[in-house]
Amino acid sequence: MKKKLIVFLLILSCGIFMGLKLQINKIAREKIPGSSIIYIPSGKYLKFVTFGYSPFIADLIYIWAIQYYSNYSIPDRYDNLDHIFSIIAELDHRYLDPYEIGAMIAVHEAKDLSLAFKILDRGLEKNPDQWIFPLQAGHYAQMMTKDYELARKYYKKTMEMDGAPVITRRLYANAAFKIMDYKTAWENWLEIYQTTEDERIKKIASNQLYQVKAAIDVKVIKEAIEKFKERFGRNPTEQAQLVKHGLLDSLPKDLDGKEYIYNSQTGEIRAPMIWWKR
Amino acid sequence: MKIKAIALNTFKEAIRDRILYLLLFFAAVCIIFSRILALLTVGDRVKIIIDVDLASLSLFGALIAILLGTGLVYKEIDKKTIYTLLSKPIHRYQFLLGKFLGLVLTLFIMLLLMSIIFLAVVFLHTFKIEWSIFITIFFIFIELCLITAVAILFSCFSTPILSSIFSLSFYLIGHFSWGLETLIEKIRPGIGKIMAQIFYIFLPNLENFNFKTEIVHHLPIPSNIFLLSTLYGIAYTIFILLLAMLVFRKRDFI
Amino acid sequence: MATALKIEDLHKSFSTGFIPKKKKILKGISLAVEEGEIFGYLGPNGAGKTTTIKCILGLIFPKKGKIEIFGHSSYSLQAKEQIGYLPENPYFYDYLTASEFLRFYSQLSLMKKKDKEDKISSLLSLVSLEQSASLPLRKFSRGMLQRIGLAQALLNEPSLVLLDEPLGGLDPLGRKEIRDIIVKLKAEGKTVFLSSHILQDIEMICDRVAIIVNGQIVSQGTLQDLISEKILFTEILLSGVEEKEVEDLGECISTHTERLLLKVFEDEKIEKVLQLVQSKKGKIHSLIPRTETLEDLFVGIVKQQ
Repeated sequence: MKKKLIVFLLILSCGIFMGLKLQINKIAREKIPGSSIIYIPSGKYLKFVTFGYSPFIADLIYIWAIQYYSNYSIPDRYDNLDHIFSIIAELDHRYLDPYEIGAMIAVHEAKDLSLAFKILDRGLEKNPDQWIFPLQAGHYAQMMTKDYELARKYYKKTMEMDGAPVITRRLYANAAFKIMDYKTAWENWLEIYQTTEDERIKKIASNQLYQVKAAIDVKVIKEAIEKFKERFGRNPTEQAQLVKHGLLDSLPKDLDGKEYIYNSQTGEIRAPMIWWKR
Repeated sequence: MKIKAIALNTFKEAIRDRILYLLLFFAAVCIIFSRILALLTVGDRVKIIIDVDLASLSLFGALIAILLGTGLVYKEIDKKTIYTLLSKPIHRYQFLLGKFLGLVLTLFIMLLLMSIIFLAVVFLHTFKIEWSIFITIFFIFIELCLITAVAILFSCFSTPILSSIFSLSFYLIGHFSWGLETLIEKIRPGIGKIMAQIFYIFLPNLENFNFKTEIVHHLPIPSNIFLLSTLYGIAYTIFILLLAMLVFRKRDFI
Repeated sequence: MATALKIEDLHKSFSTGFIPKKKKILKGISLAVEEGEIFGYLGPNGAGKTTTIKCILGLIFPKKGKIEIFGHSSYSLQAKEQIGYLPENPYFYDYLTASEFLRFYSQLSLMKKKDKEDKISSLLSLVSLEQSASLPLRKFSRGMLQRIGLAQALLNEPSLVLLDEPLGGLDPLGRKEIRDIIVKLKAEGKTVFLSSHILQDIEMICDRVAIIVNGQIVSQGTLQDLISEKILFTEILLSGVEEKEVEDLGECISTHTERLLLKVFEDEKIEKVLQLVQSKKGKIHSLIPRTETLEDLFVGIVKQQ
């Protein structure tokens, strides 16, 4: 064939296939979401198949996972969340980012809190020096479900680890307070108050101590008032009566030394000051 | 020295092989691409770059070692350049050693080039140089020397295609050696187990040269493993070269 | 006179094919080459000439037999120091230039560095390749490759030069050049062992020959011993006489215009032909007695097998 003819046909066929490609791309095809990944076996045998390149493969799968989970057009993409992030952990259990991000996806996108805890627990198990995992878990427990009991457990774990941030103790104390473990709350806030050098934190600790004390005292006084009511059938007119009748050893005062405010009509007792306005 | 002469000639021959430059080009592409790939990740970018680059160095280095090594001896036999060479007053083992050292020199230069690109990419990203990377690259180099010896061994008696397949299998098995250990534990004690254990000791454990994980996660490497792994690599390489010499000694060149 | 090369009872078989079948190539070769002579090794294709040479060089290991070069075993380095080898259809590293190639090979023998450069340039001029010293070998023609191959064979001043089909594929000028070089080598005291099947050249330069057919030496000795001096027939080229008239005197080979080529077997008949031509006032253009040639011997022997 003549050269010019060949060149012409070449350009023509090139244009045709490029145009066809654009057309085909426009056609939406049924995507079976993540089907290929499902067939990768997890478990320790996976590591052997990668012949020494496991950290690299872990990276690739992680990067793929980020793109995959950002793709809103795939409807049931969260079904494999656990599986995929467990694979990444198997391949490179010291790769920290996937634990955090996996948990984040689980919490915010898949709305599966227990999975987030599972991932973060696994992260901590494989990397016992990483305090970020229990800290994050505590956060999620506190923020998402107000499960202070669980949060408290995580914060405690975090506190015990080297290098944990100072704020953890405060979170712990706060969580303890929220589940009404006043003793723990008091002890920890006291320690924070005594050991911190930051004025602001000292103030916060002092206010918290006030609050804890107020809670303890209010509880004690309230119990006494109840007993009074049982005995005398009415609310005491003033707090001092509780002491006079032996229901209280002494009248508790707030942290600043002021008396609690008693409303004899309603039988309510409250702190003279709002703790955070001190 | 005669071995030196053959080594230099082999080097000159090897750098003429276009496959070398093709692989080098792909390696460079991969290393530079790692920078772009890192953009897709959430979190630590440097890890991605180092992982991809070390994997490229390791993989392409192995491919160079295998593709060049399997052709080396075979080409000489096929093109009959070996006739005049072996009629000279040299021992056959000097010929083999010369070929091996020439290829090792080529590998060294290629690895050096790839490492420079690698370090440049990492430096541009983090503005500091990780000296521990050099240790990993050193061990990659030892592993590649071993693979080269294997490729030359196969090239002494087999065609390039078969030799490449054998050498690649050797590479894969070498990295699987650790898994073999787990499997052996599951075999019931007996003749089968003993044979499997003998087999296992014989096979190379290329994971001994794999420090990629440690480098990326900044884990400490026990100091005695340096010396031991290096010696292991040298000893195994010598073993393979001796095998090659044995095969080559009484070979008829029809 | 020392024995340059001695081969005793050489046997070699090859197993070929997917299901290995043993094929005997050399079935007991014995020969001896004296120092300073040019020895021709002849045989039809596939007889085993190249195999024999490769056994001498240690490229092939014989099943049985002994080979000695100047008294040393052929496998020893001393033996290899004294050999120069030019293979059939030589092929070398084509990216090297001629001088680089010779330099590389010179590093493989025990020559002093200073001697190497002198040797390289003198060899290049010996084989008339000084002009192409910087030309890469891939640009060499067949004849040039043969010549550089010869140069390579002579690098370490070998006492025994083995040439496998050195004249193959060369034009007549090339063949003459190589022949001259071989003769020159003999003049320098070297021993030359060459295998060929261009019999005219062998006949011109060889002192002794051996003929190998089907893996066995069927004939060995000096040319004079093998080829009898007896005149086989006389070829007479004449004109001026009719074909019919000379029919009974000899065999008419060809008739070209007026010239007649006549093959006369008996000596007496030659006289008669001469007388006849004289009487007819014709002309004798040439009269050549033909003795047995090597070719005749060769063909006869091969046919016998």
